[in-house]
Amino acid sequence: MTFEVIGEISEQAKQLLATGEVPAGLEDELDACFEEVAQASLATAGGPGSTGGPGSAGPSRTPSGGSKGTGGSPAARLSQLSTRVTMLARRRLGPALRGLERRSDLSAARAGEAAATQAHVAVDHLERLVARSPLASRALSAARPGGATASGADGIDPTIEGPLLEWVLDRLSGAGSPEQVREGQGLVLHAECGDGRIIEELAARGLDARGADPRRSARAAGDTIIVAAGALEYLGATPSDTLDGLLLTGVVDRLRPGAARALAQLAAGRLASGGVVVLVSARPEAAASVDPVVADLAPGRPLHPVTWCHLLARYGLSELAVFEPDASEPDIFAVSARRRVSVFTSANDSP
Amino acid sequence: MRIRPVRIDQVIPSIVERDAVSHHALEAQRVLRSMGFVSEIYACTMARELTGRVHPLVELPRERGGHQWVCYQASIGSPAADSVASHPGLKLVNYHNISPAELVDRWMPFLGEEVRLGRKQLLELAPLTELAVAVSEFNRVDLEQAGYRNTTVAPLMFDTANFDHPPDTRTVDRLAAVRAKGGHDWLFVGQMLPHKAHQDVIKALACARRLFDPQARLHLIGRESCAAYLEALRRYVAALGLTDAVEFAGSVSPGGLSAYYTAADVLVCCSDHEGFCAPLLEAMHHRLPVVAYGAAAVPETVLDAGIVLPSKSPVLVATAVQRVLSDRRLRDELVRAGLERSRAFTLDGARRAFAQAIEQVLQAD
Repeated sequence: MTFEVIGEISEQAKQLLATGEVPAGLEDELDACFEEVAQASLATAGGPGSTGGPGSAGPSRTPSGGSKGTGGSPAARLSQLSTRVTMLARRRLGPALRGLERRSDLSAARAGEAAATQAHVAVDHLERLVARSPLASRALSAARPGGATASGADGIDPTIEGPLLEWVLDRLSGAGSPEQVREGQGLVLHAECGDGRIIEELAARGLDARGADPRRSARAAGDTIIVAAGALEYLGATPSDTLDGLLLTGVVDRLRPGAARALAQLAAGRLASGGVVVLVSARPEAAASVDPVVADLAPGRPLHPVTWCHLLARYGLSELAVFEPDASEPDIFAVSARRRVSVFTSANDSP
Repeated sequence: MRIRPVRIDQVIPSIVERDAVSHHALEAQRVLRSMGFVSEIYACTMARELTGRVHPLVELPRERGGHQWVCYQASIGSPAADSVASHPGLKLVNYHNISPAELVDRWMPFLGEEVRLGRKQLLELAPLTELAVAVSEFNRVDLEQAGYRNTTVAPLMFDTANFDHPPDTRTVDRLAAVRAKGGHDWLFVGQMLPHKAHQDVIKALACARRLFDPQARLHLIGRESCAAYLEALRRYVAALGLTDAVEFAGSVSPGGLSAYYTAADVLVCCSDHEGFCAPLLEAMHHRLPVVAYGAAAVPETVLDAGIVLPSKSPVLVATAVQRVLSDRRLRDELVRAGLERSRAFTLDGARRAFAQAIEQVLQAD
């Protein structure tokens, strides 16, 4: 239908032109008028299409009906000068001001993020202390379904074995520089290490492995050291750029809202150049399928692998990898990421 | 089958709000994340409101070993394209078309240089790209001509639910007061850029007022992106004695835009170049008949749901508008066909098409 209508419209337009209902040359006049104002506007803006130089005649028709070309009254010249100065200032100062604004926004955002992370570290510390008090522990158990706590005081040791254990150990064994690993200097922390079984495995591979667990008192077990601390609490107290490997288990299954971001930020910040973080977590679907009421009312919950990848990438880690065990372990997964190797060497490394 | 990457990141020259390509990139990110990939957007420049959702280009990770793919949103020349070209990951190009330099050179020489660079970079990326996804068949043909071997079409992703913003009541009242004076309201929606040829709509309005509808008005909605061009349009309107008939509304809120679509009688588009032209569909969604000059991808977007003209002679455009406004049967038919056409572009459909394009690369040997 529209095809026929377009034919009819074209015919009608031709007739309007042929019968003189449309004044001859109207379309050309419209074009010429636009060309005129275009040249005038480009001349005012100092554009390259300008054909008018200083003293050239401006357009014959303008909004005010008078000449506003490059010539004209002193008021018009002043107005043009003001426009040019404004444009020049915008062009020259605009990017610098926008950059400054962006940097101040970024600094404010970073300060806010650092404060939030410190708050999570403090809460982790407090929760561990509260959980060690029998009275508080009983009160928390009564208040929370299934006795779940955010500090992990009643947590369950992660089941890491078989191919998953091999994958985790392989990833962490490659942490740090090859020289460090060869010389057994790579410092690896296992946060929420339970009975320290994986620490012993790591130590057997020549790594300086240590653990932290909120359920235990500080103790020394052979060559391994386990500190009584939550993951956030321990990482919060660890200096930056010191860990060659970091294994996170347990804590990642029940993070408070916002704590995942803090944990990823701390993990990324504590890793040395080339360091590796590995986390082993339950799948969110698995946690919900055990007991939906407990899962829904729990103070924290596990995250999807893609969310961990997103968080770790956000804080600058790369070489992301996800390990999903076969059907025998459908409820668990692991993610690893590495801090980029710095291209800068310290003065001591200089030849 | 390829190794499934952990992340598919997008690179875009610049990202702002209320922009079709930017909105498309944000939707693409949702699709990629829903497919299980880590997906971030990296841009050379970004609007302040998007800080945090979009990362500076310098932070783009460069992972080897097939873990990371990059998808470049191509619409203009930018250093971002060079970052993509040198990236070690598999490359995808999502093409939105690049306006010809000759249409903008005169008004915005720097933009002319950017589009020229964009065209050059598009050619350079061709042999490096695994799959190029165009948002229209017109763009796909353009990609083939640029040397891309593997191309497909996945429509622009925009949420038609966004078309249904409640009209801003103050704008509705203001436009109703103007309409009470008589005459029809023409509308054009698009950035104030030279290749959108606003002056040709103004020319047609001048003819229409002289020939058919002395009180016809034109509302121009869109970000004012070129000061000299805007100044020329304002002077032109004044020179033609149309100051009271043409409104330069600039960028308006979604509710304000809904009010304009609701109040207008016809959408008139005389653009010299459009890679897709979402406002055409938005107008159809609002039961507004469309009269458009058939340049670039416009005929493909409109199909037979609007009047697509072979030339934009002001008399022809004015005659077409008059016919649409005076022929009730034609108007009803265009409204019906327009609604049907706009419903063909669903966000879900566009998301599926984009996801299928990604799957196509994953399944490739």
